[in-house]
Amino acid sequence: MVKEGDALPDAELIRMTEAGPEQVGVKGLADGRKIVIFGLPGAFTPTCDAAHLPSFIRTKDGFADKGIDEIICVSVNDAHVMRYWGKHSGATEAGITMLADGDASFTKALGLEFSVPAVGFYDRSRRYAMMVDNGVVRVLHLEKPGECGISTGEAMLDAI
Amino acid sequence: MAIKIGEKFPSANLVTMGAEGPETVDLATRLAGRKVIVFALPGAFTGPCSTIHVPSFIRTAKALAEKGVQEIICIAVNDPFVLKAWGESTGATAAGITMLGDSDGSLTHALKMEFTAPHLGLVGRSNRYALVLDDGVVTHANIDNPGECNISTGEALLAEL
Repeated sequence: MVKEGDALPDAELIRMTEAGPEQVGVKGLADGRKIVIFGLPGAFTPTCDAAHLPSFIRTKDGFADKGIDEIICVSVNDAHVMRYWGKHSGATEAGITMLADGDASFTKALGLEFSVPAVGFYDRSRRYAMMVDNGVVRVLHLEKPGECGISTGEAMLDAI
Repeated sequence: MAIKIGEKFPSANLVTMGAEGPETVDLATRLAGRKVIVFALPGAFTGPCSTIHVPSFIRTAKALAEKGVQEIICIAVNDPFVLKAWGESTGATAAGITMLGDSDGSLTHALKMEFTAPHLGLVGRSNRYALVLDDGVVTHANIDNPGECNISTGEALLAEL
């Protein structure tokens, strides 16, 4: 499982553009930049939709003031779902990048995958937020299952 | 199995959003003794699924009911949270269409309907098809070629009933 001080693993994520889905390498996002990545179990799920994502919409400007170049939300959904969720929640308008980990390769490389068949979740991402400076994980807030406290925008903003 | 007229639709446990949260649905029970349409597609919020396939069944739901169809079920390899949001945003739920998630892709795999397009983030998803099932037995099978949405629409199925 990923920990503070580790190099962020590389993986291909997918973002939706005007021309359709497009692959984006994690390494390219992280090299020479300071970014915040937060991961969550799924688009349109109650806690992600009502608490986690809005917390970063609220704090977006605060991160910019602290020198964060980009805030990225990652979920094991496809790019179509992430595009709609970003639009519907206001996250895209707020400037948060919505990236799909469609095959869960990034989430698995972090060692943060979990499954709950009863709710239709397979290889989803545990809830976390991390600050990555030039490809190295400097701050990692990993939630216990079912919680959404230390990985919120406010908690991360305090920690960096 | 591939889908063929005259064959029994495989049993499957699917997932839907109930009043208290996600619930498991035993598909065989839903099909038993009833005339049901099942249509499947690559994914919620994808282009043709949102703009063509689902709307075709919203438009024809009433006419299909008049032909004796008791339920129209849309199946996708998505989770119930995504399907609930999609059912509401497309108007499918309001039109009475049931959205069921084959979240682990096991039904889609059993039907040999799965495809994967990693560059789109679609893994183990369903090709497009529409079936009429009478007491769980396939009486009409309209299976589209990958990438197409022609013969599996509500209108195409309605014309055959």
